[in-house]
Amino acid sequence: MGIVIAVISGKGGVGKTTTTANIGLGIAQNGKSCVVVDFDIGQRNLDMILGLENRVVYDMVHVMDDGVDVKQALIKSKMSPNLSFLAASQTKDKSVLNSEKILKLINSLKESFEYVILDAPAGIESGYEHTIEFADKAIIVVNPEVSSIRDSDRAIGILDSKSQRVKDGSEVDKFLIINRIDAKMVQSGEMLKSDDILEILSIPLIGKIPEDRGIIEASNQGRPIVLFENSKAGQAYKRIAKRLCGEKVDFVDVESETTGFMQKIKGIFK
Amino acid sequence: MFSWFNKKSSAQTAKDRLTIAIMSDRTNNSFPFLNELKAEIIEVVKKYMGVKKIDIQTETIDDMEALSIDIQLEK
Repeated sequence: MGIVIAVISGKGGVGKTTTTANIGLGIAQNGKSCVVVDFDIGQRNLDMILGLENRVVYDMVHVMDDGVDVKQALIKSKMSPNLSFLAASQTKDKSVLNSEKILKLINSLKESFEYVILDAPAGIESGYEHTIEFADKAIIVVNPEVSSIRDSDRAIGILDSKSQRVKDGSEVDKFLIINRIDAKMVQSGEMLKSDDILEILSIPLIGKIPEDRGIIEASNQGRPIVLFENSKAGQAYKRIAKRLCGEKVDFVDVESETTGFMQKIKGIFK
Repeated sequence: MFSWFNKKSSAQTAKDRLTIAIMSDRTNNSFPFLNELKAEIIEVVKKYMGVKKIDIQTETIDDMEALSIDIQLEK
């Protein structure tokens, strides 16, 4: 039986979908079977990031409501033989979700995949509660910015009261990804340090992603950034995927990396 | 950025503001189930006697959180 990981955030636009795509592909590249599921009904996006938008025939709602077999709806990625994708519905709204149907769908995915990764809607939207309901683990994505951090604390609060594991007296393992870190701004005191964010939210860290212009280019092409060998963000996502697969990977301090002028000077002396 | 010596960084300001905002969010949301709890307590007590009113207060004393439940019975 596979494990279910929900990728969540407080507000939208912090990089949840990008994170889902990259850790999904990263896990698949590590040799584990993995399915990524777009739970953001009505705002389908994960298909674009994975470059699979033209191959969607059936979506999640077809499987839950119209008796379409889940195997027919799953799309195999060409980027890794271990990665499959299940699309969100674009036409229905989030009210089509209900616990019973979701549990059935998730259980059938758990039978065929080692990792089931769910791309959740933002924590304040309806549909969020359904995504976290049957998750074993949750990855919370934040940006080093006040509104994202505050809203994520509320999303964590909902997770702690609504998930089935919590209701059963167990716990959902929570991990934090700090996304879009600008090392220069952190060094000059214009951006919150990761340590401060961890102290405020008190959740263990699973990775820090530096701001990377390549993310836009990657999404333009529909190729997740883990495929770009030289990308710092891509390498950071690869490390997270390895940690999720149980490997011990040292944390790289993306905040103290020197950039620009200083790096050039150091480069001369190398 | 401009007065280097006497101003704290904006990141520090953000941290201070967030710490307070999140603390107050957490106290306001710590018992989201209060209304459901109230309804269920009324149902249970009703089995044995008449209930006129029920009032639940949350209190925080140092590190302790307490619920005080006040049940007014029908005469």
